[in-house]
Amino acid sequence: MSKRPTVAEHLARQGVSRRAFLKFCAATASMMALPPGMAPAIAEALGQRRRPAVIWLSFQECTGCTESLTRSHSPTIESLIFDVISLDYHHTLQAAAGDAAEHHRERVQEEFAGEYLLIVDGSIPIADGGVYSTIAGMTNLQMLEESAKGAAAIVAVGSCAAFGGIPKANPNPTGAVSVADIIKDKPIINVSGCPPIPVVITGVLAHYLTFGTIPELDKLGRPTAFYGETIHDRCYRRPFYDQGKFAKSFDDAGARNGWCLYELGCKGPTTYNACATTKWNEGTSWPVESGHGCLGCSEPDFWDAGSFYKAVSMPISDLGKLGLAAAAAGAVAGVAVGLHNRHVKAGAKAAHKPLTADELEGDKS
Amino acid sequence: MSQLSDIPVTVTVLQAGADAAPHGRALLMELENQLRDLVEQGRESSIDLRSLPLSPGDLAFLEQHLGKGEVTAEVSALGPSTVQETAIHGVWWVRHYNSNDEVMAEFLEVTQCPDIIRAHPADVRDSLEDLRARLVELE
Repeated sequence: MSKRPTVAEHLARQGVSRRAFLKFCAATASMMALPPGMAPAIAEALGQRRRPAVIWLSFQECTGCTESLTRSHSPTIESLIFDVISLDYHHTLQAAAGDAAEHHRERVQEEFAGEYLLIVDGSIPIADGGVYSTIAGMTNLQMLEESAKGAAAIVAVGSCAAFGGIPKANPNPTGAVSVADIIKDKPIINVSGCPPIPVVITGVLAHYLTFGTIPELDKLGRPTAFYGETIHDRCYRRPFYDQGKFAKSFDDAGARNGWCLYELGCKGPTTYNACATTKWNEGTSWPVESGHGCLGCSEPDFWDAGSFYKAVSMPISDLGKLGLAAAAAGAVAGVAVGLHNRHVKAGAKAAHKPLTADELEGDKS
Repeated sequence: MSQLSDIPVTVTVLQAGADAAPHGRALLMELENQLRDLVEQGRESSIDLRSLPLSPGDLAFLEQHLGKGEVTAEVSALGPSTVQETAIHGVWWVRHYNSNDEVMAEFLEVTQCPDIIRAHPADVRDSLEDLRARLVELE
């Protein structure tokens, strides 16, 4: 059994008052998308938990996920979360390197077998024996399999770890796959996004810390608290969609009035994420608020899903005829898409449910 | 290198109308329900403003229609928190900032007094010991 102090003991030692702890819990509840009344219950539960060991493995990735987390806008919360967990191995952030660092990882895996949390960012290349990415002489595949054995749960951070991401995009020269493609016997939480929203990463950690369980997941293994609704359903521009007010190009009157970007290729209707409420860059704004459609980065294979400037229900085959410049400007696409999509939108509105990817790609074949 | 001011972009802030604050009225209705529960059953509740897809216009609408009340308080705990009673007694606008003065959480609390203001019993107990120790030092 771990001799690590409880979270409450640890924070009290650092001079954090109960009022401050309550504030932390209120912000945590907000972060975890829980009802605000849950804060006292969180304080109670979190106070009694012991600090869990965490091993973070970075595989075939761009470090954007770690950047997102370490550049996040709530340093108080994030640093507290990182005080609360014991981040024992993260080869981008740790000072140690070489044998000593690898031995420490092995020691933590042994000492906290069955208890530690394994965080993975990046996809795992399995073509040609996994030679395309190695750490300390081990392939990513070997390291993942070894570290997963004693993990209580695995958090796949970013679209690469969750779904294969950009490394897996056509033609996938390294044979990149996701964590869930390899590990079949452990609970896996997919925190997708390219990168994921920082507070979504810490929110998942906070949930695990607070309740000692993994949160409720959707069919793609993502926490429903953050990925339960589409960008479209939570978008502040949704009322314009319902009124049929669409921007037809990026500089027309509709765009200036903040109308819906659906016809300019916004992937909001098929993308599940929390950007619309959590926002980015210190809560300043998010893609749609900045006037650009959602790219759908938290969905599987978003890079291969056709143009970012093609409306979601437009068949991919039609895009080639338009030419990239026209599609990017939206001048032609807007008109064509408007006609093409009318019955799909009307149907969805009548049924009062979000469009699914299958419905939208229905006449693709 | 060109500066932001060199780029010919004009930022237009939408005027507070129905389009600019599509959710404002619904939130006031929700507050009406919660305030009624506080009056009739003594039940406290709150709205997490960061969990809702609000436009800047919605927040301006709320600030305009709730107004500013009698009490303004600032708490220093893990960065500042501001507590402002609105002109509607019992409805408090609570903002939690981090140490960089960025908003971490924002609530409309419907209560006689927000929890963040009260001293926690365990902290009070600890402080009683602390005060006694200070008295001993004076002897």
